[in-house]
Amino acid sequence: MLDFIIKRLIQVVIVVFLALTAVFFLIRLSGDPTTLFLPPDAPREQIEEYRELLGFNRPLYVQYTDFMKGAIQGDFGESLRSGDDALGLVLERMPATFQLAFSALLLSIIIAIPLGVLSAYKRNTLFDKASVGITVIGQAIPSFWFGLILIFIFAAQLKLFPSSGGGSVNHMVLPVITLALYSVSRFVRFTRSAMLDVLNKDYIRTTKAAGTPTSTLIMKYALKNSLIPILTLIALDLGVLLGGAVITEAVFSWPGVGRLLHQSLMNRDFPIVLAGVFIIAIIYAVINFITDILYAYVNPQIRVK
Amino acid sequence: MRKNKVLITFLLIITMLLAACTEGTNVDGNSSSSSDSSSDATSQGPLVIGFEADATTLLANHDVNYTTDTLIRNIYDPLIDRDSQTAEFAPVLAEEWKNIDEKTWYLKLKEGVKFHNGADFNANAVKFSIDYILDESNGSFYRSRWANVEEVVVLSDYEVEIHTSVPFPSLIQRIAEDLLIMEPGYVEEVGIEKASSEPVGTGAYTFVEWSRDNHLKLKAFEDYWQGKPGIEEVEFRIIPEFSARMSAFMSGEIYLFKNIPVDSVKQFESNEVKQISSSRINYLALSNLVDGPLKDVKVRQAINHAINGNELLETVLSGYGSRITGPLSQLNSDYAETKEYDYAPDLAVKLIEEAGYSPEELTLTLDTPSGRYPMDSHIAQAIASQLQSIGINVEVRVNEWGQHLEKIQKRETGDMFILGWGPAFDAQSTIENLFTLDAPYSSFYQENIEKKIKETNQLFDQEARYAGYAKLQQQLVEQAAWVPLWQQADLYAVKSSLNFSPRVDEKMNVFEMSWN
Repeated sequence: MLDFIIKRLIQVVIVVFLALTAVFFLIRLSGDPTTLFLPPDAPREQIEEYRELLGFNRPLYVQYTDFMKGAIQGDFGESLRSGDDALGLVLERMPATFQLAFSALLLSIIIAIPLGVLSAYKRNTLFDKASVGITVIGQAIPSFWFGLILIFIFAAQLKLFPSSGGGSVNHMVLPVITLALYSVSRFVRFTRSAMLDVLNKDYIRTTKAAGTPTSTLIMKYALKNSLIPILTLIALDLGVLLGGAVITEAVFSWPGVGRLLHQSLMNRDFPIVLAGVFIIAIIYAVINFITDILYAYVNPQIRVK
Repeated sequence: MRKNKVLITFLLIITMLLAACTEGTNVDGNSSSSSDSSSDATSQGPLVIGFEADATTLLANHDVNYTTDTLIRNIYDPLIDRDSQTAEFAPVLAEEWKNIDEKTWYLKLKEGVKFHNGADFNANAVKFSIDYILDESNGSFYRSRWANVEEVVVLSDYEVEIHTSVPFPSLIQRIAEDLLIMEPGYVEEVGIEKASSEPVGTGAYTFVEWSRDNHLKLKAFEDYWQGKPGIEEVEFRIIPEFSARMSAFMSGEIYLFKNIPVDSVKQFESNEVKQISSSRINYLALSNLVDGPLKDVKVRQAINHAINGNELLETVLSGYGSRITGPLSQLNSDYAETKEYDYAPDLAVKLIEEAGYSPEELTLTLDTPSGRYPMDSHIAQAIASQLQSIGINVEVRVNEWGQHLEKIQKRETGDMFILGWGPAFDAQSTIENLFTLDAPYSSFYQENIEKKIKETNQLFDQEARYAGYAKLQQQLVEQAAWVPLWQQADLYAVKSSLNFSPRVDEKMNVFEMSWN
């Protein structure tokens, strides 16, 4: 088991390293940040001076090794625009993004698992077909569009919730619903199929034949046994939710990491982008790591493989 | 049993993470009255203004970005401002100014003005603010514009002299457009970092709270030298998406925002839309620096005749804009009338043939940004189709804004590109930055024109200077240096409870607003 954990940890480090490397070179392909910071009438000498000051006139591999040296020590440099510590800015925004992602995850679980269980239990009824239909639509609707529709109906027309910004619980309602839409759809379908697998097993039929009440059958036997794959999906979906928060944060002006990254990319504020990628890659990799470890703990065959 | 343990462990991890995340977020937990969505806009609470982006810093004289400047002008005062409608210079913290000789300027300052922290405004504050720009180690993005300033000399508490290394006739423009006055004592005491997030100025509003990318809250400065502002509290709320800004406006959460897209104006009540002709111009650059047919003046003139600017303005921009015929907007103090290239496709074909081409053998590229200027990429497509109607092939290339700007700066665009410039109120800041060899923003260059620009820039005599720029405008139009398109219309959404008149310089000074 220890070997397995060490191997997986090494993989986490490699994933984060590769993500940083890829993004480092990709954002440099987007161009030179001095273009956007200096006034358009800045003379060439000043542009060159800034390029030198920021180190952008050095060969790319030198910039890369310098960046990696800093990154290993947790130093991603300062925002090119405001001069604030890049990693600090990202970490400052993390709670708002987590708040959004976890609330959406909770909402998804609360809605999706009962719905998925019921769908499986009442398979091929109208209820089942309706819920499967709704989940297909839910997965197909772009969250950007769905968010704007919610804003238009519930903020602009009905004035029930604020249209944007962060602050109270009221502010969270619409963005959380928007972000949860996709996950709810995925969870319902996954829970339904996991439950169907279990419900077809012999021991369930035997238990049912023995006259066990339906609620006990579902809660004690069927759901418990299908929960492991569902929990795995939920854990992995947290990464998806953190990623999906970028769009939702932009639509609802939610002051989280997604919006910070989006704006920093537009402004070519490289240090913030890289610090953000670093944090998100770590979260993603760690969630995967925990899931793998739990899986291996439950199923020793995985370790052997 | 083992499975149970796994489940419990897993759920515990999730619960702990959740608990960790729902505390200490930087989103304040109090729902302010302004964001209480169930209440409509009333003239009781704070004035909430929707903004597309946030300031990058609240320190004055550092970032040239429009958003930063617009927000912080409510906290800091300039020495000289522009009249909101005529763009003439207007005294603020400087009562009068004059040039002693070609390299020396004298400014007399207003007495009895206080900073928010109680400190007196005086000549030291002016010197400190200009020195901040000049000091390389501060990395101010304004520095290149002030490079001609040699020294600021304090003559007395309320008098300063500014010495320049070369004649610098446009110094007053720089003072009006760039310089805001900081409190030296405060900056030195708390340091740049804190002064950047908790600013102190002499402006109409004092700092209350800044939640980056979320909101900036200010309140009226009781001892403001022009009298207490009419609006008590202000919140600039950052809402990047236009649709979200529009919804916030409709639900009464915000009272004012700028930049309604021309194709969305109809969605607003007519009395809630205010417009003003901006001094920001849009143009189609014709490059004579790349090898190709545009090196020939006749081809450039032909393109001017082949493009129907009025039609573009009416159909694509729904009439929101004012046509220009030369390189300067009519709001520009050096504006001179120039001849207009009327729409004459037959003449265009004739000119192309005189240049030794046939329209069908011309293939030109047209670079355009997307979303930077009103309907920019649509305008590019429409221009392409107008040119195609006389046989010229046009390849439109749509770029992300940063990439577009970089292409222009590195002279990597092809034959034509769309760009905006401004808001500009004097000829020098436009012509010098567009038509000299070092200035990439027009891609048009002629040695004799650059020589004339340099001569005119040095002139101190107002009449001679005006005549020089008038001549230059005529020359540039004759040479068909570009296709002048229009002055943008700035479109604002304004609630009827707010008394707000748009300014020609796009600034939003809350002191000039009031509740109806």
